[in-house]
Amino acid sequence: MSDGRPLGPAVPDCADPREQAILAREAADVVRRDRRLTAAVATWQVLLLAALLAAWWGASGRLVDHLFLSDPLSVASAFGRIARDGTLWFNLRYTLTETLAGYALGASTGLLAAVVTWLIPGGEPVLRPLLLLAYATPKIALAPLMILWFGIGLLPKILLAAVFVFFIVFFNTLAGLATAPPGLVQVVRVMGAGPVAVFRKVVLPSATPFIVVALRITVPAALIGAVVGEFISSNRGVGYLISAASSRYRTADVFAAIFGLLIVVTLMNAGVSAVERTWVRWTPRERSPLG
Amino acid sequence: MGLRAAEEPSAATVGPQARAVSADGPVALEARDVYKVFVSHTRRSRRAMTAVRAVNLTVRRGEFLTLIGPSGCGKSTVLNMFAGLTAPTDGAVLQDGQPIRGVNTRGGYITQDDNLLPWRTTLGNVEIALELKGVGRAERTARALAYLDRVGLRGFEHHYPHELSGGMRKRVSIVRTLVDDSVNVILMDEPFGPLDAQTRLVLQDELLRLWQGSGRTVVFVTHDLVEAIALSDRIGIFTRAPGTIKEVREVAIPRPRDVFHIHEAPGFAPVYDAIWADLRAEIASGREADGE
Repeated sequence: MSDGRPLGPAVPDCADPREQAILAREAADVVRRDRRLTAAVATWQVLLLAALLAAWWGASGRLVDHLFLSDPLSVASAFGRIARDGTLWFNLRYTLTETLAGYALGASTGLLAAVVTWLIPGGEPVLRPLLLLAYATPKIALAPLMILWFGIGLLPKILLAAVFVFFIVFFNTLAGLATAPPGLVQVVRVMGAGPVAVFRKVVLPSATPFIVVALRITVPAALIGAVVGEFISSNRGVGYLISAASSRYRTADVFAAIFGLLIVVTLMNAGVSAVERTWVRWTPRERSPLG
Repeated sequence: MGLRAAEEPSAATVGPQARAVSADGPVALEARDVYKVFVSHTRRSRRAMTAVRAVNLTVRRGEFLTLIGPSGCGKSTVLNMFAGLTAPTDGAVLQDGQPIRGVNTRGGYITQDDNLLPWRTTLGNVEIALELKGVGRAERTARALAYLDRVGLRGFEHHYPHELSGGMRKRVSIVRTLVDDSVNVILMDEPFGPLDAQTRLVLQDELLRLWQGSGRTVVFVTHDLVEAIALSDRIGIFTRAPGTIKEVREVAIPRPRDVFHIHEAPGFAPVYDAIWADLRAEIASGREADGE
């Protein structure tokens, strides 16, 4: 440097003791900042949860009749009861089966249908109005038909859950397939890729972020389908548990069953997150700090 | 030349032929022994990186100083510190002797992207800086139009950015920065990078004509050695990453300069050769561990 200061060492990264001290200090700072952030987030979450429970507690019996709102403690004890005597797990198993099967069915057919539509020249413009209409149909209105056609077993619930998933996956995948960068397609075509290779190597990977988003947002949709199916006609499943309890004004049991459903959602979200981590690891998350 | 309409009074005291700044004039910007390190950690591993190491730099008021160096050497990091967009991990950055804390609103900042608001017309984009400082409508329109006139954009004031060429958009983004009189330090991060070679030359020429005699300080980051020489009073050369300033060299080519024939100017060859020798050492030794 022009003012005669010695230059940093050329080869080893950290030969300068000053720089080593700065790096060590920054490392400690970063750890401390992260820890403080984690602690703050946890604190706020606990506070928020406590506030919600307190509000529930406070409203119950004062603002709203206890019969309709129950209260956190009664719900906890109801949950403990149906968990211990096996009622919850028995019914949860049916709901989980319906949800998972419906989710798998809806997601795979949605994906497949989108790919086929994309592959057929002119398929998308021809099908679009029809599919938009089908998409706009209130899916719940299909529930009675499903029962009529397929009885009161697992099948109608699975199909209903699948319908809730299908359209979202279908439209998202179709949108994702359209984002394949034309430049990339041209480059691999010149390298000798045929239509199949172009699809597998470029088009489908381009769509994965869209597909992953669809898979994430359809988890609760599949659960809705299954539970609605159970509401309409069933003698097992958490939906049945809820409708049976509410018809007898056992509000605490209703809430306990709803919390049981949250177990399903949490498990499925964890699964989707695992898929997400492996499929879209290549999407950039942060810019390099260097200019 | 009619270019001086909206400039500070100090402009009159600087003759265009003279060297713009004296070597011991007042300091506009200063970096004192600046380090920037990044540490990221997961539960299992920790990664530390030094972006900038022991950088010392003074920029005189009214000076045009360029930072040049290999990719990823940290020259943009130093510029961002002057803009107050990133803080040094150690050391200090100062403007007019005061430490820069938070975003530096006394500076103008121009990057590779033109960063124009797509929903505003050319005029609206130029006016925004004045709008944010509370200048009245009539005055800001008049000032914006005067500046647009100087870069040949009259007639395009009601166009949206997508209706302009890349060079025009770049002109708008430069003018938007210059129209604000309170901005006396202009920080430019490879502003002409995405432009084609001819447009680049034209814009270098326009930038010099807008800056010359304005008394404003410019810190300019570029990869392009010829561009650096054509524009600058002094050039700071970075080592490869982790970057520090290896050398600061004067460009003794008199002003006003002809950027289109700068390579024929007396004094061009020696400074070109000297800086290229500085740079070549950094680029060659960085080849195995490319910092891109």
